[in-house]
Parts: sequence; C-alpha cells; structure tokens
Amino acid sequence: MAEMWINMGPQHPMTHGLWNLRVKVDGETIVDAEPEVGYLHRGIEKLCEGRTYPQIIPIADRLCYGSSMTWSHAYCLTVEDLMGVEVPERAEYIRVMTIEMQRIASHLMWLAAYAGDLGLSVGFTYTMRDREVFVDLLQGLTGSRLTYNYPRIGGVAHDLPPDFGRDAIRATRYMEKRLKEYEDLFEGSKIFMMRNVDVGVLSKEDAINLGVTGPSLRASGVDYDLRKDMPYSVYPEMDFRVATHSDCDCYARYRVRMDEMWESCRIIRQAIEKMPKGRWRVVAPRNAPVGTGVGRVEDPRGEAVMYVVGDGTDRPYRLKIRSPIFVTVSAAPKILVGYKLADVVAIMGGLDMCIGENDR
Amino acid sequence: MSEGGNAGRVTGASIERAPSKVGDDSEFRVLRTLAERFPRTVSEGTQVRPGLLRATVERSDLFGVCRVLRDELGFEHLSMISAVDYEDRFEVVYHITSYQHRLFLELITATPKDDPSVDSISSVWGGANWQEREAYDLMGVVFRSDPKLERILLPKDVLYHPLRKDFRG
Amino acid sequence: MNDKAGPSLGQAIMFRSKDFLKWSDDALEYLLRRSPVGGGIDYLTKDFFNWATRNSLYFLHFGIMCCALEMAVASAPRFDQQRFGIIPRSSPRQCDILLVNGPVTKKLKPALRRLYDQMPEPKWVVAMGECAISGGPFYDSYSMVPGVDRFIPVDVYIPGCPARPEALIDGFLKLQKLIKEDKRGLLTGR
Repeated sequence: MAEMWINMGPQHPMTHGLWNLRVKVDGETIVDAEPEVGYLHRGIEKLCEGRTYPQIIPIADRLCYGSSMTWSHAYCLTVEDLMGVEVPERAEYIRVMTIEMQRIASHLMWLAAYAGDLGLSVGFTYTMRDREVFVDLLQGLTGSRLTYNYPRIGGVAHDLPPDFGRDAIRATRYMEKRLKEYEDLFEGSKIFMMRNVDVGVLSKEDAINLGVTGPSLRASGVDYDLRKDMPYSVYPEMDFRVATHSDCDCYARYRVRMDEMWESCRIIRQAIEKMPKGRWRVVAPRNAPVGTGVGRVEDPRGEAVMYVVGDGTDRPYRLKIRSPIFVTVSAAPKILVGYKLADVVAIMGGLDMCIGENDR
Repeated sequence: MSEGGNAGRVTGASIERAPSKVGDDSEFRVLRTLAERFPRTVSEGTQVRPGLLRATVERSDLFGVCRVLRDELGFEHLSMISAVDYEDRFEVVYHITSYQHRLFLELITATPKDDPSVDSISSVWGGANWQEREAYDLMGVVFRSDPKLERILLPKDVLYHPLRKDFRG
Repeated sequence: MNDKAGPSLGQAIMFRSKDFLKWSDDALEYLLRRSPVGGGIDYLTKDFFNWATRNSLYFLHFGIMCCALEMAVASAPRFDQQRFGIIPRSSPRQCDILLVNGPVTKKLKPALRRLYDQMPEPKWVVAMGECAISGGPFYDSYSMVPGVDRFIPVDVYIPGCPARPEALIDGFLKLQKLIKEDKRGLLTGR
C-alpha cells in the first residue's frame, strides 16, 4: 500500500498545545514521524535581554503554564547563582513546598488530559476536580490561579498566610485518598491498560542517548532525579524515594508520575513540619556582576536548565533556557515508529507535552 | 563506582547510585584526563563548585573531546547547547551531565564572528540535533555535518537570526 | 420579477439534471435571501433561531497557551460551563466560536486565519487573555502579532493574564447577550 504523510496539528485534539506532528503511515502502521514546533515561539530569550532581573520572573512563569512555579524558581536559582545571593532557610522550605504542590497540580493536569485522550471522561472530571484543591492552596498563598509570580531573587515574595500548613497537610491527606481511587479507576479499566501496556517502548539506551529526561527517563529504568542526585534547595533534608519503572512503555510513564505524586505529598508534609521560623527574603543587588550562572531543577517534565550571562548591568546579557520537552519531543520519531496510528494519542500524551516551554 | 568504561553503550548495571556523596575525586580525574589527552586545546579546567566543572576547548578539537567525554569519562547526557553573542566572538556552551558520576560539565568553545561554525556533535549525543538546530535558527551558528540543519522555531522563510545583538526586532 | 430569477420554467424542463439543480439553487437563493418571502420567514423565526443559537454555543477546542488551561478548567466539574450549553468541539466545521486563548505568532497566523475561514456562518470570535487582545507580556517581541484583531474580527474581549474561568464564562454570557440583541435574521441578515 502506498505510504502517505498525515498532519496531526496544529489544531488537533491530540496535541494539547500548538504543534504539528507529521506521521508517515503505511496503512495503519507508522513508518516515520516528524514533529514540527515553533507555533508558540514568543522570543522569550530575546525579550529577557530587555527586561531587568526582577521583571523576568513573570515571564519565566509563562514559560510553562502547567508548572509555572518551578520555572520561576529555576530562574531565581540561576540568578542567585550569578549574583551569589544566599537564600534564607525558611524561604527554601517554602519554595520546596510550593514546587511540590505545583508538581502534583501539573501531574494531575497531565492525568486529566491523558484520561480525556484515552476516552476516560470520568478520569478527566475526577482529576480536574482534585486539582482545584492544590490550585486553591496556591491561590490562597499567591493570589493567582496559574502564573504565581511568587519566588523572588533572594527568597519568596511574602510569608505563608496563617493556618496554611494545616490546610496543606489536610490537602495531602485528601490527595492520598484520591490517588488510591485513581489507581483503581485507571488500572481497573481494561481499555486504559490495553492502550498503555507495551505501547511506546523507549529503551534505556535510546532514552539516554536522545536526551530524554524526567519521568520519561525514569520510566525507562534510569534512576536519576536531580532532586536526589544533584540536590538543590533543601531537598537533601527531605526523605523521599525516586520513582522508577523498568517497563519503558506508556504504562510505566503513567506509573512513575503517580508514584511521584505520592512522594510529593510526603515532601510537602516534611517541609511544613521542618520549616524554621525567620526571614523569608533577603534583598538582592540590583546589578549582576560580570560572569555566568547556571541553575538546574527537576521540572515535572524533566530537567530544566537555565544559563545566564551577566554583564554588570541590571539586565541579563543572555538568558538561555533548556526546555525538557523540546528534547523529549525530538525523540518522538524513535518512539512512534512501528506502532499504529491510534497509538499516537497514547504515546504523545504520555510524554506530557507543554508547548509554552518547548517553543519559548 | 565504575571507572568510566563503555559509558556510551550503557548497560543496565553501569548506571547505579554511587554510595558516596556528591563530589569526589572523579571531578579531578575528568579534568586531568582532558588536560592530558588534549594538552594544546583544552584549557582553564576548573571546579566551579562541587559537582560543576568548567573547561574551555578550541573548536578544532570539540568533536574529539566530546567523544572522549562520552566513551571514557561517562558523560552520557547532553543537557544544553547555548550560543552567546559576544562583541568579538560567538561562544557555544555545552552543558554535559554524567549520570553515573553525578557531574555537570560546562564546556565552552569560541568561534569567530566571520565564520560562526563548529562541528556537530549529534552523532555523539542524539539529543543534540534539535538543540543545534535551535542554535542555528536563533543565533546563526552553523553546525558542520549536522544531519538536518534547518530552521525549527521560526518559519522557514525568515532571513534573520533574532538572538544576535545586532538584530533589532 | 427581475432578471436575476434565472431561466423560465419552460427552459428548465429542457435542462439536464445538473443545470436544473443549479437553476433551482439560484431560484431558492433568490426566494429566501433577496425576496420578501425570506424576510417574512426571518421575521417569524428569528427569535426562535436566535434562542437556539445562543444556548448551544460550540467553541473550537484549540488551546494555545495559559488560558487554554483555564478553558479546560471551565469545562471541568467546578465551573461547569456546559450548563450554559458551551461545549468544546474539535473540528472547526462544527463550531460557532473561535476562542483565541493565547499569543498569536507569525508562524501561527496563517493557520489561525485558515481555521477561522473553515468555520461556517454564523460565527463569532472571542479573544481571551491579554496576549490575544494586545500581545500581553510579549507585546514587543519580534515574532508576535500584537493582538488577534489585526487579522480577525473579534466580538468579545476577555481581559486577564490568564483570564480566570469565571471571566471566561462571563465572556460567553456577554456573547449570548450580544447574539440576543442581534436582530438580523438568519436568511437575510448576513
């Protein structure tokens, strides 16, 4: 049968964002694939060169709208590395707590989209309902639902509101109950399992060579998590387990993210219990010295790296952002080839695409 | 901790969690090996902070250094390629991660303004291809023998490289 | 009758079927859109069609940036915009509303224009969030179109960065009001 190219995107229910996947099919089998990105390229790296250091925090929020807290945190880490600012300990604990809340909210958003893709409407409604719990918490803290603008260079914007710790611990207890329910719901669904198990296998060697990071790497059996292996902030104080899985398929990616949510609940509770009193912010200098700074964090989607070059003024000379999804998507042809056209939804959904950070 | 070995062809046992804390003598082994193998082109090998190394390499030896880094020193993962436009040169900065030694290496190479080109390393790390395309797209640095060097983020018909300092949007 | 009514009945009988179809199309078009008959039908039915249209607004499921998440949240249980009959559809051919929920880049512009052209009349455009209205935080970027109304007519603007789900629902209610106040009929109005 003749081979043909099919465009899936830019407007396609599968894409969850703004990109185009061109697949070459022979009948129903995929023989080649080519992602096409850049529809959301806003030129953030150029924009940052014209903004002062604190002005970039809201833009860093909008890099990935699914997990804006981790991106503004990554940016603040990078600039603190450049300026040599020491962050107070209380601020570090607050940051870790908010990042883990953001991780849960981001993974729930992914789970909702994934369930919707695979035809489990109940999964969509349940996860979106419970995501609101964490969105409400962060809204009570920062005043915004999605783009928080909360971390600052040298700390966080303001202290926790009263009784925040109690509410957060209550939310994690609620979430753990719900996670059990999700596991029963998803893994008890025959359709979900059939569309996930042994679909989209990415071997360990390929995952490492192609630069795949984050849950997709850990689902391929590599035990590497920046929070554990190159710790930043106060993650060394936290007791948690790195979720890995050795099946390398879509089910493994789902499983790794579910396990990460369990661990995030534990980290939130530990951060609240260990949180010291004290200052939550130091004043950072206005101008950065001449030099470079680099910051790496474990985003919900993988390894986020920022590299900043300072030239002595109050604006960065160059800010380079490494998006985990940008590199993961480039591995898509390797994962897709050999599967059926109907598996594209499961495979690309399982990678947790976020086009905002991908295109920058 | 395994001593480098066939790190490029990683097998199940070679990536295992090392028991020691971050930052042991493997950092100095990396810098020493690079300085011994490429005495003329690799310079300024320093340890910026525990776990983060920095080295400068001339662009003629970039490909060889990357091969040595992957095959002998256990740097399996290329994190980031960033191109920076300075007044007198372009700098291409490679951030390379070692999963097994838990190291992060900043490898800096410079390329002149009138011939901004370096060797492609996408045959060493497969994940480098799109990042090289991005650096070409936004900064105009040419990566020689890249399998598919074309614009990726901007439309195919634009003529400018926006991240250059002489570009005014 | 004027000349635009097409050929006479006698000619029509001698036509082949293809020409007959064209003739009948022209005749119907004349009857419904330009003659007083169409106006009469409009007068009688426009309130009913208007009511049906504004209570089943199907918008295009097309996420661009941050506001796309709020669009998804608005469909989720907490805000539940489907109680107003606002339902996402995945094909532009089935939609009434183009919801532009993010920045429009120069690379996206032709694709978005094409989506707009693919939608059948009557159609409306909602610009959600600062980016779609004026470029938002990226207004001075080299690759942005500052505001979607540069190339698509916009009916409702929803400010916010990102616009909250309540704001989105309010925007749709405003659009319903706009449709309600629209006294043009379906046949002769457009």
